[in-house]
Amino acid sequence: MIDALNTIIIDGMSFALPLFIMAIGGIYSERSGITNLALEGLQGMGAFVGALVAYVLGRSLGGNSQVPYYMAMLFAMIGGCVYSMLHAVLCIKFKANQVISGVVINILGAALTSFLTKTINRQVFGAPSDKFDLGVSARYTVPGISKIPILGAFFTRVYPFELIIIVAAVIAWYFLYRTRFGLRLRACGDNPAAVDAAGGDVARTRFIAVMVSGALSGLAGMCFAYSISAKFSSDIYMGYGYLAIAGYIFGNWELLPSLAACLIFGFARSAGSEIVLALGMPSAYGDLVMILPYVVTLLLLVFLSKHNQAPHALGEIYDKAKR
Amino acid sequence: MTQAKKNYLRVAITSVLVSLLVGAVVILILGKNPLTAYYNLLQGCGLAPKTKYGGGKSMFTDLSSYVDYWTPMIFAALSYAFAMRAGLFNIGISGQMLTAGFVATITIGYSQLPGLIAKPLVVIIGAIAGMAVGALIGFLKYRFNINEVVSSIMLNYIARYVISFFIQTRYIDPVSRQSVTIGDNARLTFHQILLGGYKYDLPIGFLLAIIATIIVKFVFDKTVLGYELRAVGLNKTAARYAGINVGRSIVLSMAVSGALAGIAGVTYYLGYFASIQPKVLISTGYDAIAVGLLGNNDPVGIFIASFLIEIISKGSTYMSSQAGLESEIASVITGLILLASACNAFFLERLQRRQNARAEAAAGAQKVSQAADSADEGRSSRGGERQ
Repeated sequence: MIDALNTIIIDGMSFALPLFIMAIGGIYSERSGITNLALEGLQGMGAFVGALVAYVLGRSLGGNSQVPYYMAMLFAMIGGCVYSMLHAVLCIKFKANQVISGVVINILGAALTSFLTKTINRQVFGAPSDKFDLGVSARYTVPGISKIPILGAFFTRVYPFELIIIVAAVIAWYFLYRTRFGLRLRACGDNPAAVDAAGGDVARTRFIAVMVSGALSGLAGMCFAYSISAKFSSDIYMGYGYLAIAGYIFGNWELLPSLAACLIFGFARSAGSEIVLALGMPSAYGDLVMILPYVVTLLLLVFLSKHNQAPHALGEIYDKAKR
Repeated sequence: MTQAKKNYLRVAITSVLVSLLVGAVVILILGKNPLTAYYNLLQGCGLAPKTKYGGGKSMFTDLSSYVDYWTPMIFAALSYAFAMRAGLFNIGISGQMLTAGFVATITIGYSQLPGLIAKPLVVIIGAIAGMAVGALIGFLKYRFNINEVVSSIMLNYIARYVISFFIQTRYIDPVSRQSVTIGDNARLTFHQILLGGYKYDLPIGFLLAIIATIIVKFVFDKTVLGYELRAVGLNKTAARYAGINVGRSIVLSMAVSGALAGIAGVTYYLGYFASIQPKVLISTGYDAIAVGLLGNNDPVGIFIASFLIEIISKGSTYMSSQAGLESEIASVITGLILLASACNAFFLERLQRRQNARAEAAAGAQKVSQAADSADEGRSSRGGERQ
């Protein structure tokens, strides 16, 4: 029983934290006024770039090096960030419908990454394959604290990326709520005209916010690639980006409540698979468990959407000429 | 054709050409000939002759198979357009297709009903199943203010896993690892029919698709409902002040959109195919967005755009085998068309502004020459603006 509880916590955390960092990215973008349905595509593109780098480095450095792992994280952020600029350009420069642009980013991202994965495998590595194998990340247990019942599970078999995410989340929180830039960013989402009048550059702020969301989503995608699948393939597009969106909508576009939502998704998922395992059900029942996070999302939205208030200027194209 | 339509056509054709050009550059970088690759696309769809054919096959066999493949996309894109008309983004078309296909398969597909009864029932049940899912999304949006994109994605995944569970526990064919094939009585395509020595796939759904296109066009352009949906899509607040029941419009447009997606689903799973692959959500629902955007959400535009997009999609298998390119290049090109189409509004506005400026300049020149006739001046420059 305790073992099962520990597993639920350990697996739940390793799923919830990447979701959370992606949700933070979404919050940055949406608080600045840019609807961001592109998280799904951004995390996939980030994971692709990171996985490619890790794969190449892994081949040249050999098996035991930890360098590819951290370089993958870094390059996933860069990849997500660069790809997100496409969304920023579409929304800000070309004044495209932001919902459509987000969906376009997702579809194009999925198409590009699976095309490139196959092409690179065949043309560069000479081995037809639709994935980059990464191997599972190493995991660490903090000595001492991990012996505490239940609470200790939070310090047991932890992925290194969980620590990276927590650090990144604290920094993101600080910037959003405690700096001039963060204040300006939030103002851009509520009243861009006021920011403009006060001498701020709405377009620039929004552009940066979208880039932040790209970098954080890329990081999240890489974490999923290292934890859930141990490879990069088109399996990365499991709708987690949309779960993250549901997470911050549920969290009312604030960081800490969004963390709560992501934890609920994570624990719902790990608890579900534990139950299937505990009851010894055949593997087809695993499919039924997979729907848990999605069902929980829908139910939470049913109860909470009505009270939540999106940023006032969300999704509106800011046109200086119309001020 | 009005000036606005002409402009749109110009922008749309440009965006397709640019996308094909970018695709060609990619193919060139990979060391293949883009022209042959694109010609392979046409060959794969029976729009150009292949060098050799197997027994009982001809170019028209491929063409009939292409039309069979094209049919679900027409419905899917009409579904997208119907929701978009009211400003709603139905990204759950694939899930609605799957739900409809599954429900119709287990109710009628495995029954012994005679074809004359089974086939219409398949369409009706598919439409109802799709409508139920669509209406649910609309209801969640209207009653609980849930973003339709998020809820339809959630429902996509739920449908995918639940249906995969049922197929794997109850309806699995152990050899093909797909659901058990449906009977010919319920299938909407006359599969591999022998006519004059050649085999053809004749889809009944294609006739329905033409009819549906005409009906949707009529509803959009000539009915109160079409007008109301458009008003809601353009400005909800204004529509409410104009006395339009916004909630009803939202649920209704999603319900009709779902029904169209449902018919798309049965023409796919009980027409083009006769079984369902578990755990797979097809890309038709997403490609439909590209088609809708490219076709400017106009039923006739969609008909033409879907023809084009489906050539790329269907022909890619043949191209892949002939040119040695990964067939995913097709979805990349579709993605590029989508990307270019997302910017269409921007370039359209630009084109219009340039035309206006030109018209004004022309009016200005006229003004100089007609300096004496000052009374006409204002009218002519205003006329220029209106163009």
